[in-house]
Amino acid sequence: MKLIYSHLKKFLPNLNIEPHQLRDDLTMIGHFTNFYEEIDNEIVFDLDIKVNRGDCLGYYGLARDLSVFYNIELKQLNLNLPKQESKYQLPINIKTNKVKRVMAVKLSNLKNSTSPEWLKTFLKCHGSKSINTIVDLTNYIMFLYGIPNHAFDTAKSTDNLIWEINSKFKKFTSLDGSKLNLNNDILMINNPNQALSLSFWGGEACAISQNTQEIIIEVAVYDRTLVRQNSRQLKSVTEASVRLEKDLDEELIPIAFNHLTNLILENCKGQITSQVFDYYPQKIDLPKINFDFNQPSLISGIEIPIDFTSDCFKRLGCLINNNFITPPSIRKDISIEADLIEEAVRFWGYQKIPINKALPFKTLEDITPKEIYLIENLKDQLINLGYDEILSWPLVTNSNDPKTVITTQNSINSEAIYLRQSLTQSLIKQLDQYQRFKLPNPQFFEIGKIFYKEGDHFLEKNSLALYHHDSKQLISDLQTLNLKAEIKNNNFAEIIIDDLKKLDHYLPQDISNQAIELNSQIITLDANIILDTKQDPIKLINKYSQNIGPKILWTLIITDIYQDPKTNKYRYTFQASYFNTDDKTAKAIHLKTFDLL
Amino acid sequence: MNQNLEAIKNEYISKIANLKNDQELESLRIELFGRNGLINNLFSKIKDIPNEEKKQYGANLNQLKTELEQLLSNKKVEKSEKLTSEKLTSTIFGLPKIGHLHPLTQTERQLNEVFRKLGFSIYNSPEIVTDEYNFARLNVPQNHPARDMQDTIYIKEPEYLLRTQTSAIEAYLLAQKNKNLPIRAAFPGSVYRNEKVNRSNHFVFHQYQAVVVDKNVTMKDLIGTMDLMFKTLYGPDVIVRYRAKYYPEVEPGVGPDMQCFNCHGEGCPLCKYAGWIEMGGSGMIHPKVLEMAGIDSKIWSGFAFGMGLDRWTMAQKNIKDIRTLMGGNLAYKPNEL
Repeated sequence: MKLIYSHLKKFLPNLNIEPHQLRDDLTMIGHFTNFYEEIDNEIVFDLDIKVNRGDCLGYYGLARDLSVFYNIELKQLNLNLPKQESKYQLPINIKTNKVKRVMAVKLSNLKNSTSPEWLKTFLKCHGSKSINTIVDLTNYIMFLYGIPNHAFDTAKSTDNLIWEINSKFKKFTSLDGSKLNLNNDILMINNPNQALSLSFWGGEACAISQNTQEIIIEVAVYDRTLVRQNSRQLKSVTEASVRLEKDLDEELIPIAFNHLTNLILENCKGQITSQVFDYYPQKIDLPKINFDFNQPSLISGIEIPIDFTSDCFKRLGCLINNNFITPPSIRKDISIEADLIEEAVRFWGYQKIPINKALPFKTLEDITPKEIYLIENLKDQLINLGYDEILSWPLVTNSNDPKTVITTQNSINSEAIYLRQSLTQSLIKQLDQYQRFKLPNPQFFEIGKIFYKEGDHFLEKNSLALYHHDSKQLISDLQTLNLKAEIKNNNFAEIIIDDLKKLDHYLPQDISNQAIELNSQIITLDANIILDTKQDPIKLINKYSQNIGPKILWTLIITDIYQDPKTNKYRYTFQASYFNTDDKTAKAIHLKTFDLL
Repeated sequence: MNQNLEAIKNEYISKIANLKNDQELESLRIELFGRNGLINNLFSKIKDIPNEEKKQYGANLNQLKTELEQLLSNKKVEKSEKLTSEKLTSTIFGLPKIGHLHPLTQTERQLNEVFRKLGFSIYNSPEIVTDEYNFARLNVPQNHPARDMQDTIYIKEPEYLLRTQTSAIEAYLLAQKNKNLPIRAAFPGSVYRNEKVNRSNHFVFHQYQAVVVDKNVTMKDLIGTMDLMFKTLYGPDVIVRYRAKYYPEVEPGVGPDMQCFNCHGEGCPLCKYAGWIEMGGSGMIHPKVLEMAGIDSKIWSGFAFGMGLDRWTMAQKNIKDIRTLMGGNLAYKPNEL
């Protein structure tokens, strides 16, 4: 969105801010402004208007925001139409409920011509080409209020305008000569015999020329979802479609309509030769929002005075009735309390929120999935073994198994259609790349997702793939990592991490940071136990540790495991250290625990 | 005995003078100074020397040792071809190979460390998601213009798609842990957009997001935590401004911009003459997002912020082509030379 400083002042006559400051202020209140430049002695800003602020796709909406921010007057232009003599009612037919509001009128005896210089400059600053006065004024009004509009040359279109969902026309030629094939669900303005205009793009059939003397002008707002769909279907984006697919204000239509009519009459003479047509079947119902005036302070974390918030809402045009706030119709983005909180905070100023108050530490349950720890652990071990980590494309050209491969529906990259089913193929590609660069002794790995489908289900798993130029070393490294994998093509191996059993085995142990004040000597005692079969030493240690209990057990280790060749029985030698107790008690517990009595 | 030492000295001076290459030099060194070498043998004979001569013999022997060592160390010989070749191919003589984490993993680790210190868990969720988790639960209903902000790669349109943002992980997190409040979680993740792959664009890139749900969470907490993160990544002198910004899943929305490190705010081609570089998006979690996850927004509030990792990592490593990060010509020097 372009914004010319001098034209902004039509709505904000008291605006007196340096351009660089205006750029920064617009940005801070939510309208990111890249830069400003000078074009034909005008200062022009380049703004990025967010999708929820359709009102700011026009000068009027931006001026409203700035009038609140700078606390200066917003000038309401006096835009009454001249007295209408004609009793003629336009034979307009609205056949669809996708039209929210249309205003239209017929103007006759016009003298169209090339545009005045100010209008040409205005459009040039907005990147638009000047056509003629009538067309340029329709564009001017669109930029000024953010409401698209259209003028029909009635010598070509007739007065019988029909707003309808297309059902009979197959072709449409736009004002710039583009030829489009029409579907059946396109919102259009036609006459009984001709396709005249899309909702967001005028047609060649009734284009305004310098010879045009009689026109119907219309200003309308439609169902934005339909306009968006139509624009996407026809792959046509125009200044009008960008605006009409936003939530625009039906209540702003009379202001834009009157302004356009007056400007055309002023510049092209002529008279109004019909009654004003105003189709507005369902007046908008403005929300009444229950608002807690303390919320801006509570949410921002800084004190925002209630008086400021209240005054801010009034200047925004809200109606305030105790704690119930009714936003102005132009602000379609305000419908719940959170929207109002945002208004109060952004006008108070985000820059007033301190930046050095990070959240303090808080002990909470660790919800980190086990596989994340495992992946971190594996990566650390792999780089210690000299492997470099690479990342590759998750979308690939070839499938490993056509029955289970997942195919994307609309990938615009023809070389990346399938979701990968293995990382090895990516590593092979990477190896090719390294060989191309003659990289000596490559040794690398990737950990990433692989994908496949089972029936209607889409599945994904974490996988690890390795390459080592020395296959013996690869086998040795897998043993070091305690991983079993098939070696492919001598130098590659791949393991599906999510299928590894006992993920706990790889997880970091909880470390007790408890510091202990020693008050007595630590007593260390040995014990031999004879077992008929071989046992898991960790399980034995867990079992005896629990029996002794953490209050007196300092540490417990197995120092020796011996199989007697005569009896074939196993002897486990334990060494238990006790603390926080005396000799006698430690011995008694030791004998009892290891059944040595 | 001392005359013997003198003879030995002369003999070895001559031998050293005639050494041809480093192999011969090494052999002679071992002959003289090896464990069973000549010098050690001579020292072992001290016990057989008469007492009155021992002191002088010891002194002379030490002098001989020093002189021969000096001569050997000063001797310059040609390196033998064979030995040179062995040295280059033998790992015994090479520097140890050092493995490397991918630059994106390194950045993720830096951020994980910051957030773990604040009590955050690290989280993840599937990359193939439903429309519900990628859009609807983030307050972006069907046909909402905000969907145009992200070109989606569909698996099965319109229901299954590749996640376009790490906010999809947030939607999973809130749905799955809505009974485990409060929550602090951070999540690095790959996200996908239907973009042509070229020097500056890719269909897969990497984001980092952090989410907090607790009682009485404020924008001050959000901005303070974000600033800590930026200072960790970019250093203590980084200047970041926080401005109003729109994202459907948050309200109020906050946009962090870093002062351009190239022009220091003056405006240059890198920052498109804005003087600032957009660093991601954030804000207080929208009440509708909390409610859709079954979390009472009257009791709980929260914040979320996310940022892209690719551009930052590329700038840090001086990588000009985004394709390098993903299966391109990214390599690492094998050791510190």
